[in-house]
Amino acid sequence: MLSKSQARTFFIVFTGGFSLVFLGLTVDTVRAVPERSHEAELSDRAKRGKRLWDENNCMGCHTLLGEGGYYAPELTKVVERRGAAWIDLFLQDPQQMFPGQRKMVKYDFTAEERRDVIAFLTWIGEVDTNGFPAPPDMTLSGAAPGTNAGQIAAAPKPGADPLANAPTMFRTVCVACHAVGGVGGNTGPSLDGVADRYTAEALDQWLADPQAVKPGTAMPNLNLSDDVRGELVAWLRARGTQETSR
Amino acid sequence: MKYNSQKVAYIFFATCIGLLFLQIIYGFIMGFAHMGFDGLHDVIPFNAARATHTNLLVVWLLTGFMGASYYIIPEEADRELFSVKLAYVQWASLVLVGVVAVAGFHLGWWEGRKFLEIPRPLDYLVVVNVLMFIFNVGYTALKGRRFTTTGLVLLAGLVSAALLYLPGMIYFDSQVLDSYFRWWVVHLWVEGVWELIMGSLLSFLLIKLTGVDREVIEKWLYVIVGITFLSGILGTGHHYYWIGTPKYWLMVGGVFSALEPLAFLGMAIYAVAMMRRGGRRHPNRVALFWTVGCGILSFVGAGFLGFAHTLPQVNLYTHGTLVTAMHGHLAFWGAYATIVFGMIAYTLPELTGRKLYSGWMPEWAFWTSNIGMLGMTGALAVAGVAQVYLERRMGMDFLAAQKAVEVHFFGMILAASLFTVGIVLFAINFIQHGLPVSEATVSSTREPEPEPPSTPAMARSV
Ligand code: HEC
Ligand code: HEC
Ligand code: HEM
Ligand code: HEM
Ligand SMILES: [Fe+2]
Repeated sequence: MLSKSQARTFFIVFTGGFSLVFLGLTVDTVRAVPERSHEAELSDRAKRGKRLWDENNCMGCHTLLGEGGYYAPELTKVVERRGAAWIDLFLQDPQQMFPGQRKMVKYDFTAEERRDVIAFLTWIGEVDTNGFPAPPDMTLSGAAPGTNAGQIAAAPKPGADPLANAPTMFRTVCVACHAVGGVGGNTGPSLDGVADRYTAEALDQWLADPQAVKPGTAMPNLNLSDDVRGELVAWLRARGTQETSR
Repeated sequence: MKYNSQKVAYIFFATCIGLLFLQIIYGFIMGFAHMGFDGLHDVIPFNAARATHTNLLVVWLLTGFMGASYYIIPEEADRELFSVKLAYVQWASLVLVGVVAVAGFHLGWWEGRKFLEIPRPLDYLVVVNVLMFIFNVGYTALKGRRFTTTGLVLLAGLVSAALLYLPGMIYFDSQVLDSYFRWWVVHLWVEGVWELIMGSLLSFLLIKLTGVDREVIEKWLYVIVGITFLSGILGTGHHYYWIGTPKYWLMVGGVFSALEPLAFLGMAIYAVAMMRRGGRRHPNRVALFWTVGCGILSFVGAGFLGFAHTLPQVNLYTHGTLVTAMHGHLAFWGAYATIVFGMIAYTLPELTGRKLYSGWMPEWAFWTSNIGMLGMTGALAVAGVAQVYLERRMGMDFLAAQKAVEVHFFGMILAASLFTVGIVLFAINFIQHGLPVSEATVSSTREPEPEPPSTPAMARSV
């Protein structure tokens, strides 16, 4: 049977051997990472963004590359999911964007700092992560709590861009939470057919102050000017007629 | 207790328990926040609570390892500790670093890297502190009259843990490399060198409590830590699947980390077999409970629950969800917290000369805390699996999925309360033992050592 000195030899040989293999793989990995992570595109702005990320310990609530706290959304693909304009608006006042929800700290970032953070998140979104996070493999959607959503819109029609002539506000901000024609986020309900449910006045009131219309709603008050609201309402209504006429 | 200087262990153990209570408070803060009660958000935001919770955990475990070393090294080396005064200075500086770090977390002074939140300037103090500690025990061991395998493995674990802290202090602009080297600390600690520490504490306790021949115990110690490194070093790859590192890590990490549970299975079999063989001869039954409990629970928490999500096919979906939190709790508890508790349960009567190990309290402390922790793990498991299903597979919005699992945090908090009752009982028992006394040195050397097993020849042949 195994003696103590044989056991010791086993320990020393395997520990030494595998340490060497590990160091070898590390050298190879450190060589391969710049290309896989597009390190050439890691701008000074993005580097400053990482400093802000570190200094504020965003990882204590969020995961990034799947690492961090489990209290807040995974952020590796957040730019792809929400868009830079929405994130910029969100960072100015997170609690206003998600009224009544789990809270994020309100950082009083300057416009420059917000751009730095977004540059960092954009860079991380392009790292080759071997397929993480995996796209959901069952087509069922879920919406923010307390909403009447859940029904995802029809799959996008090939060739057609549902956002083709949408107002900028819609294309950059609303779409982060709402889908039209199968394109967009699932935090709020799909806005296909919203024209059938609301009159122009009702839509305008809703956009001006959602809480006044439906206390406790998860739809944010985005402080939209009269002009922007007018554009949005007109577009949503016009989409409605296109849809029904088709 | 053989040597008077072993008494320094006491203050480390007392600190340990104090810090654990503080850790639990922050655990509750986070548990309630997950349930939707985040009233403390403006004072202690979640990230501050989290940094405090996990860093206190690491600090109290290290404090426990240090206390254990101050007890074991003189005993194994057969001489007094090199310097008791240095040990107290080291203790004080450790507490100072800890207090400053925790206060800093509440003021936003931190590094924002999971588990390594302690800011750089304090890192240097940690290094100085650990050097003081290593010098003190290392010198004692070198100048000792004997150099046992148990002592050697313990020292090797402590020194390599100190060395592996260094890669965590390098700054990288690239998040990918930052993460790559962060795991050199986090993974190579808990699934590598800390297992050396755990294994040596386990064999020390088994030698003391079961009376099985040292040669047999120490031989198996080598085998187990051999398996640890055989699997655990390349097993680091299970953290390199999705962070921007090359694809071969899926293979390397998957295969080798799947072998890691063998080391913990080894620890479990080791503890149970030695207990069987030696019989429960030592009157300190509850210390043996903790020792064997450590062997078994480390296999469940680290081995089994680690294996459950270590294959890339599974990890793609569970990565960074509450499933990880579930595994983190039972692994840290089963492997490292219980071994520290085992050391405390065994050494306290030796240090104070009061044999308060029988009676309901220490045993209830054992059962309620362990059952509570298993309940917490179960609640997190249900929450984690539900989260994976809703968010990762069905594509539900993050916050909506969190709402759906809120209720399981209520279950977790109930179980955590039971757990806390166990810890309170343990602490009361600790306090009842009183302070260490020099007379205990004499009294315990007179205490009959447990009888060697009746068939030593057979024992040797296994
Ligand atoms: C106290 C915890 C906490 C901290 C710290 C925190 N966040 Fe958040 N964050 C949240 C929560 C919770 C959400 C989900 C939306 C909400 O309820 O506000 C969120 C949402 C986000 C989102 C939108 C994600 C999405 O998919 O909707 C971004 C982007 C974001 N945070 C960035 C940051 C950055 C950058 C930092 C650090 C400067 C940070 N967060 C720090 C809690 C936190
Ligand atoms: C942070 C995510 C978010 C953003 C950004 C957002 N919404 Fe919403 N919206 C919601 C949620 C959630 C609801 C569901 C509210 C409820 O039912 O209580 C909603 C509801 C609505 C509704 C009512 C839908 C129905 O079928 O009842 C309309 C219309 C609407 N939003 C339009 C907009 C427009 C236009 C914008 C851009 C200016 C916008 N939303 C931006 C989250 C968002
Ligand atoms: C008793 C009450 C406790 C409660 C209520 C509690 C609760 C929590 C919560 C809510 C988290 C945060 C998860 C997240 O990021 O969302 C957490 C993290 C953690 N806790 Fe606890 N905890 C408790 C005790 C303990 C104990 C005793 C240990 C160790 C033995 C421990 C080890 C950990 C670890 C390692 C993490 C980090 C997990 C990870 O990042 O994967 N906790 N705890
Ligand atoms: C005592 C030993 C162990 C402890 C204390 C421990 C603790 C932890 C902790 C705290 C994490 C979270 C780390 C982070 O996200 O920063 C983690 C992650 C992980 N552990 Fe362990 N672990 C142990 C052993 C094991 C073993 C033996 C295995 C495999 C068989 C394993 C598999 C994993 C995996 C796959 C992850 C990554 C989870 C993810 O992708 O989010 N662990 N462990
Ligand atoms: Fe690991």
